[in-house]
This record gives sequence, structure tokens and C-alpha cells, in this order.
Amino acid sequence: MSRRQFDNWLVALIASVRVVVQKVFKPLIIAGGISALSASCATNAPQDTWQPKGPNSKLIDDLQQPVFAVAGIIGLIVAVAVVYTMIKYRDRGQPIPEQTHGKPALEITLTIIPALILAVVSVFTFGAIFKLAKTDDTEMVINVTGQQWWWEYDYPVQNDFGITQPIITSGQLVMPVGTKVLLRETSRDVIHSYWIPALNGKRDAVPGRIHTLRLEADEPGIYAGQCTEFCGLSHANMRMEAVALSKEDFAKWVANQQAPYVAPAKDTLAKQGEEVFLNQCVRCHQVNGLTRADGTPAIAAPDENVWSGAAPNLSHLMSRNTFAGAMFNLLSKQCRDEVWNASSDAVGAKYLAGVTEECLNQKDLRAWLRNAPEVKPMYANPADLAVSNGKYRGMPYLALSEDDINKLVAYLITLK
Amino acid sequence: MFSTGFKYFFGVTVLSVVALIMSLALFEKLALAGVAISFLIAVGALLAGLSAFSSDGTTRDANTSTSDLTTQSIWPLVSAIGVVFLALGLVTSSIVFFGGVVVLLAALSEWLVQAWSERASTDLAHNAAARKRLLNPIEFPVLAAVGLGVVIFSFSRIMLTVNKSTGAILFIVAGALVLVAGVIFAIKPNMKRSVGAAICVLGALGIVAGGVASAVSGEREELVEAAAEGHFTHAECGPEESKYYDKLSEGTLSLRSSVSATVVYQDGELIALIQGLAEPQKSLTVGRSIPTNIIFRNATEGEFRLVAHLGGSKSADKATDGESHADETCTQLVAPGAEQSLTLKIAKSSSVENVYYLYIAGADEKKIELVVP
Repeated sequence: MSRRQFDNWLVALIASVRVVVQKVFKPLIIAGGISALSASCATNAPQDTWQPKGPNSKLIDDLQQPVFAVAGIIGLIVAVAVVYTMIKYRDRGQPIPEQTHGKPALEITLTIIPALILAVVSVFTFGAIFKLAKTDDTEMVINVTGQQWWWEYDYPVQNDFGITQPIITSGQLVMPVGTKVLLRETSRDVIHSYWIPALNGKRDAVPGRIHTLRLEADEPGIYAGQCTEFCGLSHANMRMEAVALSKEDFAKWVANQQAPYVAPAKDTLAKQGEEVFLNQCVRCHQVNGLTRADGTPAIAAPDENVWSGAAPNLSHLMSRNTFAGAMFNLLSKQCRDEVWNASSDAVGAKYLAGVTEECLNQKDLRAWLRNAPEVKPMYANPADLAVSNGKYRGMPYLALSEDDINKLVAYLITLK
Repeated sequence: MFSTGFKYFFGVTVLSVVALIMSLALFEKLALAGVAISFLIAVGALLAGLSAFSSDGTTRDANTSTSDLTTQSIWPLVSAIGVVFLALGLVTSSIVFFGGVVVLLAALSEWLVQAWSERASTDLAHNAAARKRLLNPIEFPVLAAVGLGVVIFSFSRIMLTVNKSTGAILFIVAGALVLVAGVIFAIKPNMKRSVGAAICVLGALGIVAGGVASAVSGEREELVEAAAEGHFTHAECGPEESKYYDKLSEGTLSLRSSVSATVVYQDGELIALIQGLAEPQKSLTVGRSIPTNIIFRNATEGEFRLVAHLGGSKSADKATDGESHADETCTQLVAPGAEQSLTLKIAKSSSVENVYYLYIAGADEKKIELVVP
């Protein structure tokens, strides 16, 4: 192929691409733009960054609103100018215009104006950053640990809040309203990022490091969040919820979490489920106070089975509303809606009611027990475990019989 | 016909397609690499299309009038290679990534200056001089730094291979040779440049050759033994000074931002200071299977070490076979006022039968409970 033929071929190719763009992509881009605009008008958006519900997120919001407006106007001006210039002065065989070099007055003006804008923005930005980094006014500390693909929360002993022994939970962060909570974040495997948009900005959870994040909620309620650092196959399913309770309700929650383990009554389906749990689940999942038949404590050993070295502690599982990294609801849709849509005065009582037998989302829980990797993508295929020394990332397929699943569900519902 | 920008982005696109095909052939799993390179292809193609559409913002006439002044440039190709290495490095290794960054920055700088200098005037000699005037002050120091780095690295390999006495002699000889060369250059200012260059090149080549030979033969036995010794791994956690473990004891820390707690031994009390908690703590929550950093600060007048008891029995087994079967790790003996870090990773939850705690060697009653939920 000669140089000229190659050039002609390329010109034809570009012309074809241009036709395809005009005929196919143009309508798609317009439709996409309209959809994006429509989506921005949504009112039921639990992860909306523009609806702050606490002083930390309000601080960010007060900064981003004016900055966004200024940046948006400048961006629009630049975009219009670029598009206008590209179209008006594109190569149409016209003669070269008069060439000039340098316009000091214009260049200095166009340097000083952005510099001034950025200087003003940076003053307020640095102020906000320093305020958000404060830790000396902390009232409560919660340790947050990310791993593929769920969040663990442990509450160190804090007598002021009635926490006389550490509390460990997962999926839902429970906190008192009007309290300056300091999250101390880390990770057991890869980098994750913790973000409850209504309460603060995001903060990475990095293995080997402890990063702090302030949280404070103005009103009782449930605030949704999402891991915002790509962390593997089920990153999109690594969700979290912050549950803000009134101080009285929080005290009740603490008391329940510290309540001793109550074994199921003898000769019940739940008791049989406890045995299944001891045989199958306790390899990874801890239930505080659970003992084996010989009376020795059943200590989980997730470090021997799971890549991250941890699996959710299932003590008081039914006091939570979610499971599997908050991907699934423990409550049926109707019961969950009642909690989520409750007024700030009523949400605490509804949340503390926990999961009753009538409200249990049996469908998803049974599907999870039946074959967890099928409903949540995880590295659970034995053929793929060579890189992790045979350890799972997430819950594996346990080949439980339907009979065992019935027993397990009956047992789990007792973990109030 | 086609602008420089178009050629560049077209080159990026083609090379990225090649990289994708090679990755498909070489790697079994291509999730991240495939996404990254596919994006690069899409972006390269888009920018190539924009460049073709806008002709890089110039007109056909402008291209024609400067074509006889420009020379063939290798920098678009080198830049494209840099971009591809950069993208590949994102999903393969950091060395490839930073190599790509360096190649890209160097090529873009050279390209920018070349493009500018070739249009500076109609006098080709003046243009070439302008390019040199701008770039030589950067190129020469950079090349000199790279060359010097290679020589210094080679010399360090030699010093790690020969024994201490020979190393001292070599250092003296090398210094003397540099001095002699300097004297020759000083007393013979009119010496041919080629002779001076030859002396320097020969000296450098000698050192590099010696460095290669030394790297091949390996470090001297004494250093190999020291590396294998790993005295930090032989933790002896008693109150007395360990001749072996406490060798080269650390007294300062740079670790500050990732500590779970600072454990302080002061006035006969052992307390834990935790960020966010105002009061000193007597128990410390340690997440299961998480590497947890603790700083031990010795605020007493004596030397002490902090010991972490991580299970096992300290006394019962000792009574039967005379050996302690306790699972323990500890700091070195810490001097008064000094600090040292201790990293714990505890896999199993604590319980009545599985008790973890920190204590001061020799003062076992000074404890901080480690709670592993």
C-alpha cells in the first residue's frame, strides 16, 4: 500500500467514524444527558451529597456549594469557548491568519484572575480541612475495619456510654445523635474507603494505617453509605449504614449488645441449629458466649479460612437490619420500609425492635446460606484460591442441606 | 496531510492495541489491565479523531509553509512508548510505571523544545543553537547525574565485597587517583580534551566493571552472616539485658500516624493513651488479625522492655519441663526517656481461657489488658 493509498484509507475511515458518531452516538449522548439531568432531580436518594445531616457534612456542603457554582460557571465559559473556537476556526482550506505573539495585558489578567479565585477557595478549603481533622473534642471512639467486602465496627470500653466491655458488630454503625464520634479506620486486606455522604466526606481505610473520620448526626435516622475505593469483585456490594439513635435509645442498644448469650431451649429446632452452627459456621463466625458440648468457649478461627483473617461476629445478629456486608436486608421489604420511613422520633424504637420472626427476610437469608457466592460475587471458587493459599475472600459454598438451613434459620433468629 | 498531534495519538492507540493483544496472550486474568488499556485505546482514538478534525488548530497553509524547515522527529514515537509503558505500569509494576513517566516527561520536553526551535527563524543553524542553549543545561547535568549514580553504585558494590582493610586501602587509592587526575588537569590546562575525556571514561569504566564483578561475586561473608543473623527475630523478653537481642537497640521513632496506642511506663504505672479517649486506659482493644502498632514510652529512670503476652502458659508448663511455653513478643530494652514500637497481630478472640496482655518485664504485675473482640 502506497503512502497516498494509506492516507486515503485513513480519510475514509475517519469519515465513516464521523457518520457513525452522528447517526448513532449523537442520539445516545443526548438521551444519556437527559437521563443524567433527570436523575439529578431525584428526591429519594439516600446517598445524596447535597443533603447534609450533620455538622461535618454541613461544613463540606457550605464550602462546595459556592465553589461548585463558581467552578461550574468558569467550566461552562471555557467549554463553550473551546467548542466555538474548534468549529469556527477548523481547517477548511482557508489561508493562515495573521500571526501574533504575546499579549502581556491579556496573559497577566488571565493569570491573576484564576490565581485570585483559587486563593480565595483555598483559604476556605484549608479552614474546612483543619476543622474536619480535629480529634481533641471527641466524645466517642469507634474502631472501623474494612475487609472484602464488609465493615466491622468495634466499640472500645467507654464507661460514659455504658460500654463496659467491647462491643463488636458489622454492617450497621450505631451511634448516638449529637455526639462527636471519631471513627478510627483501618483495613485487613486491601484499601477501602468509608463514606456516609449525609454525615461527612470519605476516608480511606488502609492496611497498616489508622485514619480518623469525624461523624455526628443531628437527628435520629438511618444514613446509607458505600465503599468508595475499588476493592475487588464485590466492591459495589460493600455497603454500610449509620444508624443514629437518641441517647436513651443508644443506651438500650448498648445494654442489649452487652447482654449475655442465651442458648436455645433443649429439644427445639433452634437448638439443633446451634449444633449445625458449631459444626459449620463457628470455623469463621464468632458468637460471644457460645460454648461447645464440653463447656469450652467456641472460638472462631477465621484466620485459618478467610484471606482477611476475619468474618462477621454474629452475636446479636438479629439486632441488625442487614447482613452480607449490608448487601441484603434481614428485614422484609415492608418492615424495612417502616424503619427507614419512620419519623426521627419513632425510628429508634422501630430499629431497636430488631428482626422478628414475622419480619425476617427468609428468602435472601436462605439463599445466602444455600450458596453465598451465587448471590454475592466472591473469590470462592476452589480453583481460584491458589493465590490466597487456599483461603476464601468472603463466604464459601457450604453444601448445607435444606434441613440444616431450616435449623440454622431457626437458630439465627434467636440471636437477638 | 495528517497533523503531528494526530500521528501521536494514532501511535498511542496502535501501540495500546498491541499492548492489549500482548496482554491477552500473556496474562490469564486481564480484568484491570484490560479495562485500563481499553480506556487508553478509546481515549487515544478520540484524541486522534479530534486532532484530525481540528488539524491541531493550524491550517493547511501553515503546515505547508513550515514543512521545509522541520526535520524528522523521533519524540512523538518516544512519547507514545512512554504513555504505553505508563499505562502498562499501572497494572503491572511500579518500575514500569515510573519508567514510563520519566520517558514521557523527557520526550515531551525534547519534543516541545524541538518544535519551538525549528520555527524560531528561517536560519537552521540559529535554530539548532537555540535548541542547544535551552536544553544542554538540562541534558548535561541529568546525564552526568545518571552516570555519576552508576559509578557510585558500582563503587558501593565493590566496597561491600572486599574486606574492611582492603576497602580502606581502595578508598585511599581511589581518592589518590582522583587527586592525581585533578593535578594533571590543573598543570596541563592545554591538554587535549580527548585525553582528559579518555582518563575519565577509563576510570569510570574500571569502577563499573569492578562493580559488576563484585555484584556477581556477592557481599563479603561477614555481611551475609549479619543479614542472616536477624537478631530482631530472636526476641528474649526477660528483664535482663540480652547481649544478642538488645544489640543495636533503637531509641527513636518516626512512626507516629498509625499507632493504636502509646503505652507509657511512668511512676510505677503502665497506662495506654489512645487518640480520641481523654482518660488513660488500662485495657486496649485490638482488632482480630489486624497488624496493630503500639508505641512503648519508657518515662522512668531505669531500662525496661514491654512484653506482649499472646497466649500460652507462663508458669504451669514451666513447672513441668522448666521452659516457658508462653507466646510472647517484646520490645528491646528501652533506655530512660526513649520509645520503641511493637507490632501485634492476634488472630483469635480473647476469652477466659485465652488472655492477652501487655506487661513490663521484671514487673509482671504492671499490666494492660488486650481485648480482642
